[in-house]
Amino acid sequence: MTGQVRAWTCIPALALAAFTGCGTAEPAPKPNGTPQRVVVFAPSAAEALVALGLADRVVAIGSHGPWPGEFAALESAGSFDRPDLEGILELECDLVLTTASVAASIGHQRLERLGVAVETLDTSTFEGVFTSLARLGVLFKREDRAAELAAEMRDGLERVRVATADLPPKKVLFVVGRDPLFVAGPGSHVDELIRLGAGINVAHDAASPYQQFSVEAVLERLPEVIVDTSGDAEYWDRWPFLPAVRNDSVYRVEPSVLVIPGIRLPEMAQAMAELIHPGTFAQPTDE
Amino acid sequence: MKRPRPLLTARRLALCCLGFAALLLVALAIGISFGSGEVSLTDLWSKGLSERHQAILFQIRFPRVLVAALLGGALSIAGVSFQALLRNPLADPYVLGVSGGASIGGVIALTLIELPRLAAWIPQPLIVPLFAFAGALGALVLIERIATVGGQLTVYTVLLTGAIFNAFSAAMIYFIQSLASLEELHAIVFHLMGRVREMEIGWVGLLAVAILIPATLLVSHGRAFNALSTGEEGATQLGVDTERLKRRTFVLGALLTGIAVSMAGLIGFVGLVVPHLLRLWFGPDHRLLLPLSFLGGAAFLVLADTLARVLTAPNELPVGVVTALVGGPFFLLLLRRRGASHGF
Repeated sequence: MTGQVRAWTCIPALALAAFTGCGTAEPAPKPNGTPQRVVVFAPSAAEALVALGLADRVVAIGSHGPWPGEFAALESAGSFDRPDLEGILELECDLVLTTASVAASIGHQRLERLGVAVETLDTSTFEGVFTSLARLGVLFKREDRAAELAAEMRDGLERVRVATADLPPKKVLFVVGRDPLFVAGPGSHVDELIRLGAGINVAHDAASPYQQFSVEAVLERLPEVIVDTSGDAEYWDRWPFLPAVRNDSVYRVEPSVLVIPGIRLPEMAQAMAELIHPGTFAQPTDE
Repeated sequence: MKRPRPLLTARRLALCCLGFAALLLVALAIGISFGSGEVSLTDLWSKGLSERHQAILFQIRFPRVLVAALLGGALSIAGVSFQALLRNPLADPYVLGVSGGASIGGVIALTLIELPRLAAWIPQPLIVPLFAFAGALGALVLIERIATVGGQLTVYTVLLTGAIFNAFSAAMIYFIQSLASLEELHAIVFHLMGRVREMEIGWVGLLAVAILIPATLLVSHGRAFNALSTGEEGATQLGVDTERLKRRTFVLGALLTGIAVSMAGLIGFVGLVVPHLLRLWFGPDHRLLLPLSFLGGAAFLVLADTLARVLTAPNELPVGVVTALVGGPFFLLLLRRRGASHGF
């Protein structure tokens, strides 16, 4: 009888030992110490991995895209704020690349306790994009390629800055959602894109990067250009006195074109500048 | 059984109603005069009002204060009617569960329906409210069926059915939310949060008809509600067809609630605080309480919505936050001071 009891009490202890053993004592094989099996929740990090020639390391992606074409067939590892812990362990991945978020932090802590390295990247600003790219270079031992890419990006951004430097600034509204109206404010990469394209964000006093904004305030500030990613750009036609409507400068843009910052920042900056000041890049710019 | 004493003279009724109508007008004027834009009602008399300021005054603020007034009136009169119907001071417009049906309908429209495809048939801003209202009507019919036992609508079953239906709808919404994408989640949160939305003036007219008819019908039941406050048996002895009264109140109040939730989500406190405040000030006579609740609720929500627009401009607060933050403490204070003489 007592023997039986003892045998039962042993099981949790054994299970615990087995469990902790899995988590710590079994390092994944890492040729030259870089992560081989990566789960990506941040689309911007996925783009950067492709550019660094590391696309084949990615084994699963998050459920919120858009993702580069080469990842379309990969399986989903849940959403960035609710990662599928079992699925990730099943894949025997050695790195999770994700964006920083309060909602996700509990999931991240659990993953780390289960022995999976988690790297959070902040790509919400220009500087964040460059820092993240450098960090990926270090993690995957591709510092040189990362530095090269960064230099190319800075050149691209500089070209846009030079091209728009002497243009008169225009007042720009960038819409990310409707009903209620949400706009891009200071602290967002969109705000930086607008500035680089010789624009002034009319939502300069919004309290957060993407904020709810009153239509009345938009009418009061008379934007000259409206870039609308909400899918309902026709809405603005009802205010014909807005300079943007009068001058046919309300643009409906797919969110993926300008909303997710990453290594395509120079192209985004050029696209934004072209929206704000049409024709800036129309004539061949190569020397 | 004593009949409620007719303390109320026609003169007092008329004076009180006129006073509250004036209050509502002042509230509307205040609502039109403030916002994130720098233009006020007084600018109307200055020459050369710019096009944008005309648009702000007439196309944004004017329809918006009217919508706020109509919704505030609807919620408040539904609240006072349900408190009379259920003889329960805690009753508010959402107690019957119809709001749950409206919420489910709206959430379904936001997640499962391809809005752009439907937009070819129905104006886009109306899709979600229409689905929500269909949900409210569905819930209304269902709850009325379930709560009717042996041909009678009893207070006890109505309360329980409502509570259970609300819990069920909350679970349904959580279920849909857990499957929704990030953008859909965002839309759901903002749909349910309780805010007065923008509306074109033509639709405001339609909303006015839809709200004023049931509200007027409820106002005409003041005497019967007074009889009902003596108990169902007492009311029957006083010659009131209580079954018909209960059913009518149920349907009219639920319609008003359904319209309000479809248009604005869940705006709390208006239907609870305004009727109780008026009861504290003017006594329990429903002939006075019903019209004053409509006018007072209208003025209250217009002012609350004005605060919601101004406090954090150019950002807007959900008006439900303002009604609860302002209404809650104010009401508790008054209850402390006047509570002893508070005859429900």
